Amino acid sequence: MIFKPEEQLSQLFGSYKAEWLKGKLYEFFTEPSYFPELKTSRPCMLIGGRGTGKTTALRCLSYEGQFALSQFKKEEIPNWNYYGLYYRVNTNRVTAFKGPELEDKRWKNLFAHYFNLLICDLLLKFLAWYKKHVPYSEQLDENACNKIGKSLNLQDVKTTRDLVNSVDNLRIEFEAFINNVATQPFPLLSAQGAPIDTLIESITQLQQFQDKTFFFLLDEYENFEDYQQQVVNTLIKHSGQHYSFKIGVRELGLRCRNTLNENEQLIHPADYVRINIAEKLAGSIFNDFALQVCNTRISKLRKIDESIIDDVSKALPALSENEEALKLGISDLIKDMRDILRVVNGSIELSPLELYFIKIWAEGKNLDKKDVLKEYMDKYSDWTERFSNYKHALLYSLRKGKVGIRKYYAGWDTFIKLSATNIRYLLELVDQTLLLHLKKGRSLSEPVSFETQTLAAQNSGKKNLSELEGLSIHGAKLTKLLLGLGRIFQVMAVDVSSHAPEVNQFYIDDNLDSTQERLELEDLLTAAVMHLALIRFSGNKPVDEADTKDYDYMIHPIYSPFFIFSYRKKRKMKMSGTQLLGLISNPRDTIREVLEQNNRDYEEELPDQLRLFEEFYFGHSG
Amino acid sequence: MAIRDNPLFTDTYSDLSDFAPEEGSTYIFGASAEERSSHYKDWESKVTNIKFVNIIEQQPTFFIAEENGIATTTVFLRANDQIKSFLESIQSKVLYLDITGLSHHIWAPLLKMALKIGCQEVLGLYVEPEQYRFHQAPKEGEIFDLSEKITGIAPIPGFIRLGEPSDEEKVCFVPLLGFEGTRLAYLIEMVQPPGGKIMPIIGVPGFRAEYPFYTYHGNQQPLLRTQAWRNVQYAVANCPFSAFYSLEKIASKNAGNLLKIAPIGTKPHALGGVLYAIINQNFTELVYDHPIRKPKRTAGKSRLLVYHISAFTNQVS
Repeated sequence: MIFKPEEQLSQLFGSYKAEWLKGKLYEFFTEPSYFPELKTSRPCMLIGGRGTGKTTALRCLSYEGQFALSQFKKEEIPNWNYYGLYYRVNTNRVTAFKGPELEDKRWKNLFAHYFNLLICDLLLKFLAWYKKHVPYSEQLDENACNKIGKSLNLQDVKTTRDLVNSVDNLRIEFEAFINNVATQPFPLLSAQGAPIDTLIESITQLQQFQDKTFFFLLDEYENFEDYQQQVVNTLIKHSGQHYSFKIGVRELGLRCRNTLNENEQLIHPADYVRINIAEKLAGSIFNDFALQVCNTRISKLRKIDESIIDDVSKALPALSENEEALKLGISDLIKDMRDILRVVNGSIELSPLELYFIKIWAEGKNLDKKDVLKEYMDKYSDWTERFSNYKHALLYSLRKGKVGIRKYYAGWDTFIKLSATNIRYLLELVDQTLLLHLKKGRSLSEPVSFETQTLAAQNSGKKNLSELEGLSIHGAKLTKLLLGLGRIFQVMAVDVSSHAPEVNQFYIDDNLDSTQERLELEDLLTAAVMHLALIRFSGNKPVDEADTKDYDYMIHPIYSPFFIFSYRKKRKMKMSGTQLLGLISNPRDTIREVLEQNNRDYEEELPDQLRLFEEFYFGHSG
Repeated sequence: MAIRDNPLFTDTYSDLSDFAPEEGSTYIFGASAEERSSHYKDWESKVTNIKFVNIIEQQPTFFIAEENGIATTTVFLRANDQIKSFLESIQSKVLYLDITGLSHHIWAPLLKMALKIGCQEVLGLYVEPEQYRFHQAPKEGEIFDLSEKITGIAPIPGFIRLGEPSDEEKVCFVPLLGFEGTRLAYLIEMVQPPGGKIMPIIGVPGFRAEYPFYTYHGNQQPLLRTQAWRNVQYAVANCPFSAFYSLEKIASKNAGNLLKIAPIGTKPHALGGVLYAIINQNFTELVYDHPIRKPKRTAGKSRLLVYHISAFTNQVS
């Protein structure tokens, strides 16, 4: 068989979604640092954006996952401390439980019954699986089956098989009822959580499950309707000694914290452990985790070709700021400064970037370059700090208005920052980079050029921007928001002279009068955070998680190579609620307003890759 | 068996004036702002003794019908007895269901019930548009606003499924493709089908020769990203039976799989998908995003197609 590295790469790095990986998900599993917390018996909320690894983690807690991770050793199954049952909340199911045909209270009762059936079905499937792999284990007796049956209003349930068939029939009858809900009389419904408690109680009395815990792994909790979250929250709040819930949810996806008892809320840390993936993987933890994830995949490639670089971080070399400045053509921009330097004849050797900094500082403040240069040398330690604040920011201005690469995005550390603890984005960056490298006729045994890394990072930003439209029903708004904010930060980055460097975040000054506009802004920001168009930070002050105004926001760094601004978390500026909404309803005028407010030129030429959106920005093409 | 070897149950009329509903029949339709849904007006004056049942209001959970311009009936879509009574009250030996101006969530439950109660002869009717006003797939750089185009995923009344497949890998996602790739991308995001099991169906030949290219162009990104382009099947764009046979073929190649069918392409394909779901209830789920139709999104009338649905279902079921 011929080794085609492109195909192998796509299989190893290209299947970014846990859902597409099938069995490989377990083979490639790298335990994240928060995983031990998930394994405790306490309910957990695993919070993270799309692609942060929630599904992978939850699936690895499932009994199928545990089995695969244990190399399919049947004899180990009885020794496990917990058994996880995975379920992804299916929008096409849960949206069936709403409509004007019934009042809310009735829908709650119906949904609670559906949820009972769902969980019982998961447990019964698990029992069948367990019996298949551990054949001589104790089974539910007639008394237990009868009791469970009664909790579901079923008669004559004597064996597990009866129970499985009856639950299945009950589900079919219930399905027919829901299809006919406007006029058909209500069927007998089970009480909220009762069959789950009864079934779990019976199961944990079996010898093999004594002292074991069952985890219900509910993924994509945000897909539930608000009232449905309320129903399940009640079960989480009161989950028993033998079972617990592990919830996978996007940031801001837990929209309802109430339980069915109006005065009761689901509270962290009393009722559940809150695991925010971005917080847990902050700093070097994500770096180590990501390195392991990528290198595990690379090791598979190396089994076929040993010459392939064994460490992804070595395959993606970085540029220092000074090296990058030279590549971006700084020498041509500082010829005048070199002449002045010769005249001044100072004792300190200055780098090209320092000379450029002195030049734009002097130009920005309308000072004499020679004077500034002298002062720089005389008060070197004072100026060094100022220079270090601007050093990175200066790189964005070197190729202002020029075609081709205007800023390099290269190096493993840069890619780590671009992905902002999102493992799917990181895998995608690596995949796109290595593929482009191969397309250019290079081999995986040699490092990737800075140009290729940059182009791949730009493509990745563009791809994710185009995908945003289809991620949710509000995708178009998010795309417009990003195009607007991206352009603002791009223009601000290119024009650094006399301005604060690396402004790439914003906070909201709410100037909205109408409740409707406030809700609109709230919805927009929630969707933007949920779908990772924006990331948000609380800084050091304690904030209400649901209050969007308390946070600072930043475009997800994965988009920064496409728009060309800094991916580093740096300085922030103020934006009003009207401006944020205006970026969607009236982008041209709003972008102009924000740029003028920040003393930047609205007419600044678009970088090559943004020309695609010329119509959006300027309302005309060509 | 190749699709061309399967019997087809379609009468095609190039000129609308060549066709008129049979005397003594019932003709259910929904008049919309589209030019092509106004053809019934010519027949009203031409033929007698026909019950023209106009669905004058199409709401998410109910519709209001008007018979020969007089009586009005409100029918809830999740009320079998109401749909049944409605159909029985207007029943005659031939029932025409004109899907041209009706939304899927209206005609699909009507069709299901009509077949269930054994209406003698059920025929589907569809008028192709001369052209789509907005037929070109969105260009790169154009922003496609789903919130203006769809209401979101929810089951079609009468087709709600609560059961999960025994094995989540045993699911095939079959989108019947239209031009709007963002809708496909959204559905893929929501359904999250197993890798390699997206089997799109594209209308070939299209209503017009260039339409399949628009379909590919519009859906290019999600097709490439998921590699679903490898699994594309073709079915005649204006033929529900051709779509039905393609679905059968996919099902037979993926025995025991649950087919999640997304009827987001042509209406005749949607009809094929719904018929397949009616006949293969246990192994099928319809996934639909409920588009918000723009008034006058098409222009003109082209061919009229009459589908002999009950004759077809009698043969295949």
